[in-house]
Parts: sequence; C-alpha cells; structure tokens
Amino acid sequence: MSGHGGPKKTIATRAIQAVSLLVTFGVLYGVTRVTPELESHLGTVAAVGFLLLAGTLMSELLETIGLPHLSGYLLAGIIGGPHVLHLVDHHTVTELSPVNTLALSLIALAGGAELRLETLRSVARGLAWATLIQSTFVLVCMAGVFFAIAGFVPFTQGMNSKALVGVALLWGVLAVSRSPSACMGILSQTRAKGPVATFSLAFIMLSDVVVVILLATMLMLARPLITSSGGISIEDFTVLGHELLGSIAVGVTLGLGLAIYLRLVGRQLLLVLLAIGFGLSDTFSYIHVDSLLAFLAAGFVVTNLSDQGPKLLHSIEQTGSVVFVVFFATAGAHLDIPLLRKLWPVAVALCGSRALFTVVAGRISSRLAEDPAVLKRWGWSSLVSQAGLALGLSVVIAKAFPGFGEGFRSLAIAAVALNEMVGPILFKFALDRAGETDRHAPEVRPSLPPAAAAE
Amino acid sequence: MNAVAFLLGLLVLAYLGSILVGGRTIRGFGLASGAEYLVLGFVLGPQVLSVVNRSLVETFQPVILVGVSWLGLVLGVSYLRVGERRVPVPHIALGVAMSALVSACVSAVVFFGASYFSPLPRIEVIAFAATAGMACSETTRHSVRWVVERYGAKGPLADLAADTARASALFAALALSVVNGWLPGAALPGISVFERVLVSIGLGVVLGFTAALLLGREFRRDESWGILLGTSLLGTGAAARLNLSPFSATFAMGLTLAIVSRHRVDIKAMITPTEKPVLLPVVLLAGASVNVKLPIPLLVLVAAALVAKIFARVLCGSLLSVTAKAVRGVGLEFGGSMLSSGALGLAVALALSVRHPGVVADTVLLLAAVGVLLGEWLGPAALRRALARAGEIKPDVPPEGAQPTLPSEA
Repeated sequence: MSGHGGPKKTIATRAIQAVSLLVTFGVLYGVTRVTPELESHLGTVAAVGFLLLAGTLMSELLETIGLPHLSGYLLAGIIGGPHVLHLVDHHTVTELSPVNTLALSLIALAGGAELRLETLRSVARGLAWATLIQSTFVLVCMAGVFFAIAGFVPFTQGMNSKALVGVALLWGVLAVSRSPSACMGILSQTRAKGPVATFSLAFIMLSDVVVVILLATMLMLARPLITSSGGISIEDFTVLGHELLGSIAVGVTLGLGLAIYLRLVGRQLLLVLLAIGFGLSDTFSYIHVDSLLAFLAAGFVVTNLSDQGPKLLHSIEQTGSVVFVVFFATAGAHLDIPLLRKLWPVAVALCGSRALFTVVAGRISSRLAEDPAVLKRWGWSSLVSQAGLALGLSVVIAKAFPGFGEGFRSLAIAAVALNEMVGPILFKFALDRAGETDRHAPEVRPSLPPAAAAE
Repeated sequence: MNAVAFLLGLLVLAYLGSILVGGRTIRGFGLASGAEYLVLGFVLGPQVLSVVNRSLVETFQPVILVGVSWLGLVLGVSYLRVGERRVPVPHIALGVAMSALVSACVSAVVFFGASYFSPLPRIEVIAFAATAGMACSETTRHSVRWVVERYGAKGPLADLAADTARASALFAALALSVVNGWLPGAALPGISVFERVLVSIGLGVVLGFTAALLLGREFRRDESWGILLGTSLLGTGAAARLNLSPFSATFAMGLTLAIVSRHRVDIKAMITPTEKPVLLPVVLLAGASVNVKLPIPLLVLVAAALVAKIFARVLCGSLLSVTAKAVRGVGLEFGGSMLSSGALGLAVALALSVRHPGVVADTVLLLAAVGVLLGEWLGPAALRRALARAGEIKPDVPPEGAQPTLPSEA
C-alpha cells in the first residue's frame, strides 16, 4: 500500500491512471470473453495481476474524493469479481486463499511489532475500560437487537424463544469482533500517529484474544439453549486454554528467532517473511495454534525484546505493499453481492445498530477511563470494520450448529460486507479529522546513477 | 513430500539464489548456468529419488509459468544495455542471426530424423523440430559474465561475446510466439498465426506502455513493484489463457519499458537482482520434470540435435573469424564459447511442456537439460581460451578474479 500524501498528483496523472484502469479491465475482459470457462492456474495468474493493478489504480482514483486506498482495493475486487463483470471467477477467488494466509500473518506480525510496551502502558486504563464495555455492552445490546428483529430473519423462523436467545448471543459475539486487517491497512496507508491510531491498534489486536474467549463461552452457553439435549461443558475452556498459551509460547519463540535472524543476518527478509507466512501458518493450523495470536506475539517480542522492530516493520511494509492490495481486492471479489441484495434490510438494521452501540460504548468507556478529548470523540471509529475474523467466527458457529448454521453464515457475510465497505472510510475520516494522518511526502527517489544499474 | 514442504524448499533455494546474485559471490561459487540446480532437481525428481513426484511438479506449474515470464521481463528490460554500455545494433543483429542459424540447423536435423525414425505424427514432428531449435538457440549471458568477471577480461571480444549472448533472447522470444500461435488449441481460432504473434507481442507492448506511463515522472520504489508485478502477471495470465506465449509477451513488455520509460535504469536495477531467486526454483522444477525414459529413437535424436548445435556454433565462429576483427584467429573457440545455455533454453522447453505435455515436450526438455550440461562443460572453458588468445585476459590475474569493480557487465 502506498503511503498517504506525497506530491499532489496532476490531472494528467489521474487521467493516465483512469486510462490504465480501463486498459487493465479491457485486457482481462477481452481475454475472459474469448476463453470464458477456465478453471486452472492460468486464470489465477491473470487474476493476481489484475487485482494488483486494478486495486492500485482504483485506490489512487478514489483518493481524489478522500476515500481510503482499502476501499479502492475492495471496489476493484467487487467490480472484477464473480458477481459483476466476472473477470475473476469463484474458483480463482478460492485459489487465492494462500494470499490471504500470507497477508493475515503479515498483518498480525506488523500489529504485534507496532505494540510497544510503553505505548500500551500509556493507554492501559482506556484499553481496559474499552475492552470491558465494548465486549459486554455491545454484545448484550446486539443480542437484544437480534432477538427483537428475529421475525424478519429467515433462518430463525420456527425457533422457540430459548433457542432464539442462544442464537442472539452468538450474533452478539460476532458483533464484537473487529478487523485487524482493515485497521492495519488504513494505518499503513495513512502512516497515522497519535492517540486514536495507538488506541485502535492496541484495542483491535487485544480484542482478537477476547473474541476467541467470548466465542468459546457463548458456544458453551448457547448449546443447551439451542439444542435441548446439550449441556454446559468446561472441556471447551481446557482446549481454549491450551490453544491460547500454546499460541503465545510458539509466538514468543518465533519472535526470538526472528530477532536473532534480523540482528545476525538481516538480509532477504522478503523470502523469510514468505516462508514464515506460507509455511508456518499451515504448521500452526496443524498443531492447533491460533496463527493470528502467535504472529502477534512474535511481532511484539521483536519490538519489545530487541531493537529490530523498525527493520521488521519496514520489511513487512515493503512486502505488504503488494500482498495487501491482492488480499483486499480478493476480499472484494469474495463479497456476495446477490446475497447482500437479498438480506440487505436485516443486514442494514444489524450493522446500523452495531455502529450505534459501538459509538455509545466508546463514549462510556472513554468517560470512565478519562481519555483525552480526541479519543472520546473518535476512539470508536476503527471498531466498525469487520472482515476475515468475523467470517471465520461465522464458519465456526455454522459448523457447531448445522441446523441453522448456513443461514447464520449468510447473514454474517451480508453484514460483514457492509461493515467492510463502510468501516475503513469512517476510520480514515476520523484519523484525518483527529489530525493524525501523515501529510508529508513519502520518499521519492531520483533516478539511480547509471553505475548502480549494473548487474 | 507435501506441497508446503516443497514450497519451503523452493523458498530456501530462492534464498540461496539471492545470495548468489552478489557480484563477488558469482565469481567464487556455483556454475555459470546454474546446472547444479538442474541436476539437483533431477536427482530429487521421479526419475531418481522420487522425493518430488510428478503430481507435485504439476502442482507447481504456476511457479514455472511465472518464473519463465519473469525471465522474459528481465531479459527484455536489460536487452539494450550491458552495464553502462549500449549494445550496438550490429551486435544485436549478429546475435539474432547466429541464434537463427543454430536453430535452423538443429530444427532441420530433428525434422528429418523424426520424420524418418520416429512414429510421431507430422504436426508433432514440426512442433518438435521448431521447439528443439529454439531450445538450442540461446547463449546464456551468465556464462559470459561468469568468465569475464572471474578472469577480469576486457576488450572487443569480451564485449562481442556479452552482446551476442544477450541478443540471442530476441530470437527465442519471437520464435516462441510464432510456435505458440501455430500450435493447435490457440484460443483465437478465427485469426492467422501472424495475427496471433501480433496479439502476443502487442499485449506486451500495451502493458509495457501502461507500466511506463504509470511509473510517471518520479520513481517510487514501493509503487513500482506493484505496477511491474501487476502488469507482468496480467500479461502472463492473459497470454497463457489465450494459449499464446507468456514469455514473448513479457519480453515485449520489458523491451518496451527499456525503450520508452525514463526510469529504465531504475527498473533494471530493481528487477535484475530478482532473476536468480526466481529462476533457481524454476531450474530445479525443470530438473525434476526431466524424463530420460524415452524411446531409443528419440534419445538418438537428442544426441543428433546436440551434435548439430555444436556444428552450427563452430560454423558461426568460423564465419565470424573471417568477417569480424575481434574474432580473428579465435573463431573455433568463440563458436564453442557460445554453446553455453541456461534458463532460457529450459524455459522454451518448459513452455511447451506446460502447454502440450507429452513425449515431444519431454524430449525437448531433455535436449535443453543436456544442452545446459554440455554448455557448462564446454562453453566457459572455450571462452576463457578465446579471451586468453585474444589477449583480453591478463596472465597475472588469479582465477578468482577478485577485482573490486566489474570491468564490464556481460
């Protein structure tokens, strides 16, 4: 993702970008019309190129109306995706899942590396209150809203009120999940520095752990409500405890290893990050370690137990400048537009109320924590976005309750789609208003002297 | 071996490749053509240890496709310059002509041999002859660079060797686009072969122009990666979907960038170091794809094609010793030095095996692989002898050639 600000781009530059975007769409449009059905890796290679180029160009063009780059990536994916122009088909979107794995690992590593102990200490009070209020107040309120509008939700028809309470609690958990990727995406683009950026990053990374615990708790509570035969089992917590502790232990070890590598070798970090992202994510999944938490811990260790944090962050930024575009553009292509069209009234109601309760919870927690004014005003802004984590939770819930799981997941996809589109715009708007975005020009390098280009 | 473990192995290999990119290291370690990785791939592959089986190699076909196309982009971007020096047009013409001559000789031998001694249908015989010729037409510029830097050579012969080696890529790019346009199964049935060639080259030119425009006035390294990767992957995927040549498309894109972009020097400096890290995994996969269990007539044809290649190279050297001043008196050695081949020859063979897997593709890949090994054995030694006889290697320079700066980039 390219940096925020920079020298002002002229109308000619924008025109070139617009024409290039048309060429990009035109090339793939022509090719897909000549060879319409092709489920092979050839489609994947073209799709990666298209998403990368179209995402970058769309983000540059949307920048002119103040929208974040992330919205541009998503929009490029939506337009080129299977539901609009069908330049990237369903099969290709599935084939691109390794990019998501890599992007999420980089996001978590960067998120951990951004969390400095002294910074965390400075926002600890606000963080504690926010975690408590956002996790309880929003969960309960959203469960209430879901219960209230259950008559309009297709998959809850015929459920008794006990079961409805159980499903509503599960929706409440889904509502308190946030999007680390959207947060990092916006922070990476804007290079924002300040209380809102620091609080958002720390809160969202911490909320990942909280949501995992909440989900296990709610699954335990909801099971006897939804299925009359089920009972409360503490075994889920034993498994969860092992997973959390194991993830932190593995992450710390990885972080120490990375810090040593960065200090002693410090070269070819792109390849090291690729190996970590592709190789370790699968290994973590195999040994039941939460990869997001493990990478978060690894980044945290590198920053706080060594002086290699800036080097790691710089490498992630370089790698991410390509990977994140493809990741978010793929997320855009993945958005189920027909489903959203079908469920939009319920989804809008749920998303609207979630945003409202998030703002209210943010104001309450800020007042209790005596946060600075800017945080009281904009602290909630990053918490509206939802993406992969929420979808992951919906998959877990769907597997746990096959009776209504698919319907639940569909509604979750529709709601997440809305939050994914609106959330980043709100967050960037808030950062701009809070004066935390970097408006300095990114480094522009003049042409190299000819000698430097010698092989 | 599972796919993730193999991917990690390839990344380790790319890591090694990136270390080998360093100017000083290339003089100290490894072979000029990267033949050791080809052999490693063969040993790990289904023919020997079966650590990497055929289905695993097929899983990694996108890596081959992208690697070969990336090679095309690198060759295109760096085509017109050797270091700070512009490659003279006569040298480009000479390099292309030599490649065409070698290709024609090899193709002729394979065509007549396959027509009489193999049961292949005529269309496969033509495809076999054409791709075999193309796979033998290359001289790897790394081999020339390796010798020049190792022995600190400087002079007109070293320059000519470097220029003609570089120029040979243009012939392969053009010929590959023709063969891909001609092979059955192209996705544009309504148009002629010539028009298909124009489409594949045109695709590269359009994307090259687009990239040049997007790179704009100021060079931002991070944004440039996105633009270059995006355009090259789009070109690769689009050409591959149309059953055209992705290598030719990205070569055309690179050449367009080298001609029209004001940042050609920056772009070259950016992407050239990525060549080895990208290519070593591809060479390893090529080694793992090599099949030696072919019918005897085809194995004989491989041997005949190699003999034809040697003959054609020596003939080129002899002709040059009469016409070119720099080659006077060292024609035989110069011709022999042009035998070195590397990733481009393998790329031609791999392109065929990705598009039309089968016995012909296997034979061409075997020919390219044996050509790499043969070239490694004969090429650098012949070039060293030619340079020594031409007085372009100082006798007191140790073989390690630990000069602080490169005399010229080959």
